[in-house]
Amino acid sequence: MNALLAVLWKDLLTEWRSRDRAIAMLLFSMLMVVIFHFSLPGGATTATRAYAPGLLWVAYVFAALLGLGRSFAIELENDAIEGLARAPVDRGWVLLGKTIANLLILGFVQAVTACIFALVFEMDLLPIALELIGVVALGSIGLCSVGTFFAAIAVRTRLREVMLPLLALPFYTPVLIAASRATNALFETGSVPFEPIQFLIVTDASYLIVSFILSDFVLDE
Amino acid sequence: MTNAVSNQVPTSTSPGINRALTITGAVLAVSIAVWAYLVYSAPLDSVQGLIQKILYVHVPCWFAAYAGFVVTAVCGAFYLWKNDERFDRVAVAGAEVGVLFCTLGLVTGPIWAKGTWGHWWAWDPRLTVTLLLWFIYLAYLLLRSFTEGSTRTARFAAVYGIAGIAVIPLNYFAIQLFGGAAMHPNNLERGSLGTGMGWPFAAAVVTALIAMLHLVLLRVDLENKRIAADANAAEWDSDEDF
Repeated sequence: MNALLAVLWKDLLTEWRSRDRAIAMLLFSMLMVVIFHFSLPGGATTATRAYAPGLLWVAYVFAALLGLGRSFAIELENDAIEGLARAPVDRGWVLLGKTIANLLILGFVQAVTACIFALVFEMDLLPIALELIGVVALGSIGLCSVGTFFAAIAVRTRLREVMLPLLALPFYTPVLIAASRATNALFETGSVPFEPIQFLIVTDASYLIVSFILSDFVLDE
Repeated sequence: MTNAVSNQVPTSTSPGINRALTITGAVLAVSIAVWAYLVYSAPLDSVQGLIQKILYVHVPCWFAAYAGFVVTAVCGAFYLWKNDERFDRVAVAGAEVGVLFCTLGLVTGPIWAKGTWGHWWAWDPRLTVTLLLWFIYLAYLLLRSFTEGSTRTARFAAVYGIAGIAVIPLNYFAIQLFGGAAMHPNNLERGSLGTGMGWPFAAAVVTALIAMLHLVLLRVDLENKRIAADANAAEWDSDEDF
């Protein structure tokens, strides 16, 4: 457990000092809003609001993949990854610490992206802010748990930037389906149906447990 | 973790595999002949006509594909448990053969679908899950070719192969709960097979599974030979140093 806190603190401090990952992810998702605008018939306006939940999650997934890839790439400098792997602690906690750090960094990016979406699609997200945070958090736990796990694998391969999306995206589909359905319902009716939330909790729990158990096989010297 | 892998390098093709290949090859030849005859003499479907006969190719491909993926996951788990490289060789064979049959299924499906449903593609749960599975095992094969070091490749591949099978129910439930309606029939026993179609279908499934087994054995044999050749080349290199 101490290892989790140590890794979490280290990752957040590194990010706070450089701020490169969060800024890159943020710029990336802002650029995606521009791309969405030009790819939608009639542009990103109130008329195309129905597409907003799906597009929001597309932006989240791609921003997450961008950030997750860096999460282990920084550990390659000065062979820091060896230190992580050789530390006399359970590697599950190391991976979980990294997952939570990724979750927090992604959360910041997601909050700003949601504000930009609210602006361009002219949606009032304030009345449903709490529910939206809940849905986004549940979806993001799924994205970050399995994403951090695969990032540890992808970083050890050639073409690691290419490998991570290929490994992770098939595992992101169940999360993406449930989270975008829940967000869609939330934007349309102002409340979240129970089924997608229940499904997200089950998916998150299975991803967290499986990546914790198998962490020994992906973090190596 | 320690990687005390037992690297049994075969000097040549093992006689056990040779014998097994002869047997599966012979059984496969007979099975293909029986399958072809039964499919030819099977009655035409009263609604769909001739195109329904693609059933005897399309559905057995799924049995063989899923069997291949299960072989990969099970052998991956055994590799992680026993740390024996031989399990990894069977795992990679299962994945490659599984992807082959999966591709055949994904090609024959749209041909049948266009003729009966009127669309090349439908986002039916079973179809979408299988498409995702195809992506997963293609990524598995890419992961193997992009990872350096044989033990690390085997370990990463084993983990991904197991995870690939484990994510099937999640994807299936997600698509079924929140995705499109099912187009595929639920269950073959509930009369989706007409009179006289049972035996050709059974022959088709048996043939596909034997073909899968034969190909897996061939691929394992090839992997054994490749490793032996690599070991020989390394020996030659070390001889030249002297």
